Amino acid sequence: MTTFLFKKRYLHHTCSITDIVFLFLALLLSAPLIAAENKKDVYEDEDIYLRFIYRSAEQVAAFYEGRGFPKTAIARAVQSCYVTVILKNKSDDLLWFELDNWLFHKNGKTIPRYKQVYWNKQWDEMKLKQAHRSTFGWTLFPETRDARPGESVSGNITLPMQTHPFSLTLNFARGESKNGKMKTVKLNDIYCKDAVQK
Amino acid sequence: MKNMILSLLILLFSANTFVVAETLPKGIIRIDAREAPALVLNDMDGNPFELAKLKGHWVFVHFWASWCGPCRKEMPTIQATLRDYKDSRLKFAIVNTAETEDAVFSFLGSIASDIVPLMDTDGLVTERWQPRGLPSTFFVDPEGKLRYQALGGRAWNKGAYKKFLDQFK
Repeated sequence: MTTFLFKKRYLHHTCSITDIVFLFLALLLSAPLIAAENKKDVYEDEDIYLRFIYRSAEQVAAFYEGRGFPKTAIARAVQSCYVTVILKNKSDDLLWFELDNWLFHKNGKTIPRYKQVYWNKQWDEMKLKQAHRSTFGWTLFPETRDARPGESVSGNITLPMQTHPFSLTLNFARGESKNGKMKTVKLNDIYCKDAVQK
Repeated sequence: MKNMILSLLILLFSANTFVVAETLPKGIIRIDAREAPALVLNDMDGNPFELAKLKGHWVFVHFWASWCGPCRKEMPTIQATLRDYKDSRLKFAIVNTAETEDAVFSFLGSIASDIVPLMDTDGLVTERWQPRGLPSTFFVDPEGKLRYQALGGRAWNKGAYKKFLDQFK
């Protein structure tokens, strides 16, 4: 419907030279901003690609509302900070991740992550339907797993809401029996959308 | 002598049933041949399905949800594959994970209207299969054992993936 309306409007719109100049300037100005934003939220080296997408409470609510979650569950869900992580193993070796070895920290203090068990407890308390629990679970980043060469893994990591940016240290074991050289990536400026006061 | 030839033929025939290429397409991995978990569900039209009844066939078992981006991209390739393999020995079990009929209907209606998925309404069957994520595809051999798993979405109707599927026809 949106596409149709857009097409209809587009067909009836006649471009003036001012429109074209404005569009060109807007594109020119927005390009470096987009590039800067992407660069900031992506880490990449020869072994790994990581992208972070910061979700606002509004986005989180809209997603779960669209899946028919009850208001009480949505209200509980949006109290947390959501960072969607997309990880790709670019190396030729197995890369193992355990979220317990991904340390979120600020000023030397660890920020405890909300684990799957935490959410299970929340959903138990509000007697959330099994279907919704399952959907919520699939949207979370797996707690522990291997990533095969070339494999991508994605999902949300949830944390207590933070008003200031924080750091993340990610540790990965490598090799079939996890006996390869440990890989560590340190990142700064991870944040909670909406809540952050830079 | 006759017995020997007969045995050889039986061996050849049975080997052919299970033979698959040594080199697998990108993103397809071998898994240890453990027994496939039970898969007993109704499809969206209310027809019962039981994986155990498909012994003797290779089965393409796929888990998906409409909210998952790669699932959306992959689904049209599954619909094309279903058409291509309609009368083949390869069977399909397309399982929706924990969504309502309305959500599934409106999604498939616009993307892959031929597919009548199995409805894992509470998501518990999917959890029992332990896919690495959504989407996820398993290949179950004619003895009911898990043999391969696809990592993420794949273009099943093209190139190496189509060739891979052709072996199970």
